This record gives sequence, structure tokens and C-alpha cells, in this order.
Amino acid sequence: MLRLIKLEWSKFKKNTTLTLLFIFFCVFFPATLFFGSILPTGLPNFLPSKDSFFSFPGIWEYLGYAGNWIVFFFLGVIVIYTFTIEVSNKTLRQSIINGLTRQEVFISKLINVVLLSAFATLYYTLLSFIIGLINTEDFSLGIAFSNEMAIPRFFLMSFSYMTFALFLAFVFRKAGIAVFFYISYVIIIEPLIRMVAKEKIYSGAYINYFPMNATEDLMPLLGAKTTNSFPTNMDFAFLLTFKEAAIFTIIYTLIFLFISYSLFIKKDI
Amino acid sequence: MSVLKIENLSKNYGPIKALDNLNLEVEKGQILGLLGPNGSGKTTTLGIILGILSPSAGNFSWFDNKYGEKHRLHIGSILETPNFFPYLDADDNLEIVRQIKGVDSKDFDEVLELVKLKGRRKSKFRTYSLGMKQRLAIAATLIGDPDVVIFDEPTNGLDPKGISEVRSTLSEIASRGKTVIMASHILNEVEKICTHVVIIKKGKLLAKGNVGSILSNDITIELLSDNKDVLFNFLKAHPKIKNISQDGNKLECNADKDLNIGDLNAEALNNGIKLTHLVAKKRSLEQEFLEITSN
Repeated sequence: MLRLIKLEWSKFKKNTTLTLLFIFFCVFFPATLFFGSILPTGLPNFLPSKDSFFSFPGIWEYLGYAGNWIVFFFLGVIVIYTFTIEVSNKTLRQSIINGLTRQEVFISKLINVVLLSAFATLYYTLLSFIIGLINTEDFSLGIAFSNEMAIPRFFLMSFSYMTFALFLAFVFRKAGIAVFFYISYVIIIEPLIRMVAKEKIYSGAYINYFPMNATEDLMPLLGAKTTNSFPTNMDFAFLLTFKEAAIFTIIYTLIFLFISYSLFIKKDI
Repeated sequence: MSVLKIENLSKNYGPIKALDNLNLEVEKGQILGLLGPNGSGKTTTLGIILGILSPSAGNFSWFDNKYGEKHRLHIGSILETPNFFPYLDADDNLEIVRQIKGVDSKDFDEVLELVKLKGRRKSKFRTYSLGMKQRLAIAATLIGDPDVVIFDEPTNGLDPKGISEVRSTLSEIASRGKTVIMASHILNEVEKICTHVVIIKKGKLLAKGNVGSILSNDITIELLSDNKDVLFNFLKAHPKIKNISQDGNKLECNADKDLNIGDLNAEALNNGIKLTHLVAKKRSLEQEFLEITSN
């Protein structure tokens, strides 16, 4: 296992594109705090006050939601790139010719996803803790970590986005089409399918159980939960509960991994 | 010891049979030339035995299954093109191969010396010429001192200087007693280096054996005389000569190997024919190849 990690590191440590994407991730993630700080003061009154964005426990949800976008975008693209660049340079093929088994190749790409998720989660925890510490007056560890399991939720969300990205990389094998499908699926295609399903087929809570929506609901926008109590013409909630979101995300992730593995293990390379 | 055993191997791409029931055995120490026209199934065969293509039928085994699943760690190979990370230099790229092979020694001096890339070892792969890329690929096949090396069209697309450099490197590798499998359609390349030859066409095996047995024993004779018609009739009447053809000014014919060319010259003179040109040549692999694959 350590051998595979070292091998991936040797391949990518000098890659400019990956280094840049990684730096962007590290810079943009805390930079989202800046957007929070310049929001106009007169927020709609169902949202919590702006100050609670930066103090415990609000900071976990604020940075969690910001991370939702940043991880989806930067780390997802990194994962796609680490696979497709090996297809286009044929180094994937050469690695197998040189002696790696297909299982080892698959596992090394999965390890990338796990390590990136772990890093993102660690970074998220560190940022949240520091910012929360600075902005919370009555600090105690109890308050600091009363975050409804935000840390494992963040990890699962990161892992789910990147697994989906890896799945698309295995399916499409070309960076352009995989990245295009990845971003448009999450932002356009799935929301569109859900909307059409709700309008044309049947309006019910099932539309919340789509894979990327379940993943998104692990780290929803601060205050979005209150919208569940709004009177609407729908008889179901906007958001999944954290527990539901987690269970469905895990199921989808396993399905994506299973399909990726089955495709990769016997396909001609 | 059998290094590679291929049994009834087939590969279909839809209705196209890229490989049709191929049987082949490679012994230790052989330098095997895999010959065939473009699209004959050479690369498909290599792709299957190297684990990147799955066969439609049949099977193969390496080293009598001595290494199990890990047999490719004992094989050094290039398939079609040199495949490396363009943003890494020679050392970094070889380091990746080293890690995969699980070899301890990080000393790439010897292999880089052999392919004459030592001076450019710190240049990025993308800055290399095609010949240099090909030579780096050859260097990579030698990492971990594998039992078998496989080359697929090693001189494809190179200029004459590159071809001769790669060829001398290959001869050097072959002289080290490794088992070598080399796919090629450049025949004098195979003739110079290989001990054994396999000829395939449209996925079918047409001939196999050592280079001597594939090359028939006939010799080819080139002759030239001022009076060509008389010469032609003389050759036609000669019992040991067949297949007379005209090649430019010259007449060309095949003869039994026991025909003494000095005797032939004397006989011609006795018949009043003065030869201005007389050369005996062994039949080249190229001629044999064209004959075998033309049917």
C-alpha cells in the first residue's frame, strides 16, 4: 500500500497542473470567508445573523457549505486528471506492462481519493477551529465541537464527490469529456432530472434521494434547514436529514466504486 | 525451459479476427522475430501476453507459471510507442519503472550509458527526439535485469541514424543471453538479430522455425552478358537452374545450393558466353517472407 502511495507521489509531484489546482484549493477554501464577511448586513430574517457564520458552531456549517463547492470543483477535477493524464500518455498501459496488476492500479487511484478526502477534511477542521476560536467569545471545547458530526460528514461528502469523479474518469477516459460531464451533471443535469421528475412524474420526497443531491445535503447552506419548516405547497422536506444523506451517499459511493472496478478489471487498455 | 507458451489464442474485434487460433512456444535464450505485414496481429499478440488486452479465446502462460500473477515483473517491454510522463526527466521516469518492478538499485547509469542518453538524463521527456524517446524506452525495459525483453517495432519512425543506433543497442542486448521477442516488419532487422522467426498474417501463423530453416537453401544468382538471349537460353537449358527472371539489365535465377559458381562460369564460356557480371547470393528473408505471405 505504501509502495502504491509512493508510486503515485513520484508520478505527480512535479506536475504543474496538479500543483496549481491544489494551491487553488488551499487558497480558495479560506478565501470564501471573505465572501461571508462582505455580505450585506440586512439579511432576510430567516437566516442567522452574519456574525454566527464565523463563531462556533456556525463556522462548521459555513465552511462546510463553502467546502462543498470547493471540494466538488477542485479536488474532483484533480481526481479526474490523475487518471485521464495516465490514459492519454499511455503510462497506465505501460504501468501494467511493467508489472502492476489492474487491482493495484485501481487501488492506487482509490487511495488518491481517500488521501485527498482526508487532507480536505483536516484542512476544513483546522480552518473552522481557528476561525471559530478567534470569533467565539465564550469558548469551550463543548461549544467548539457541537457540530452535529460535521467532520465525518465533510469527509464523506469529499469522498463521494471524488468517487463520482473517479467513476466518470474510468468511464470516459478522456479529461475533457469527464470534467464536462462531472460539472454539468452536478450543477445542471441532476437538478434538471429532479425538476422534470417532480413536475411530470410524481412529486414526492424521492427527488431528494438522487446521488449528488444526497451528497450536497451532507453539508447544506447555513440556515437552509429552517426552510424545511416553511409552509409550501409540497408535502415533503427540501433537505434530507444528515442520517439519510449519509446512508444514501454511502450506498451510491459503493455502487460507483463497484461499477468502476468491474469496468476497469477486464477492459482492454 | 519454456519461457512463453501460447495455446489457441484468438482475439476478435466484432467480426474481425485479429488473431485466429495462434499456437506458439518460446524457449529460453531464443531471439524470436515476430514477422508480419501491418495489421497482421503482432501487436495484438503482444498486447494479450502483456495483460492489456483480454483474449476472446485461448490462453498463455509465462515461465511455466513460476511467478504466478507477477510474471510481468520479470519482463521488460515496449508496446507500439515509448510511454512516459512528458513533464518528467529520464531519471524520474526510470524511477517510476524501478518502483513498479520493485528493484532496489537506483543506479540508472548503466542502462542510460547503453542507450547513450546519459548526457540528457536531466532533460524532460517531452524535449526528446523520437529516437531518444525510443532509446529511453529500451533503457526502461532493462531495469531490474528481466529474463525476457519484448520490443514492438523498435525502429519504427526513426531516421537512418536512429535506426542504426537502436539496432546496435538491440544486438548488444541480444548478446547478453536474454530471451528476446521482437515484432517487426523490417526484415533485414530480424535477419540480422534473430535466431528464430515466426511469420503471421491476418492473425494466422504461417511459418515458424529458426532463421536458417525459414530461409530456403536455394541461392540466387545474378548474371549479365552482352548477348542476353543466348545467356537466357543457356540458363534455361541448365538442369540446376530455375525461376529465371529479368531484373533491369541483369538476369536473375535460383539455383541448387550445390551449384558451383566457378563451374557455371566455365560452362558459360564453353558455350561462347562471356559473362560481364556474376554474383551468387543467399536468398534473403525478405524474399522468403514475400513468398510465404503472398499465398
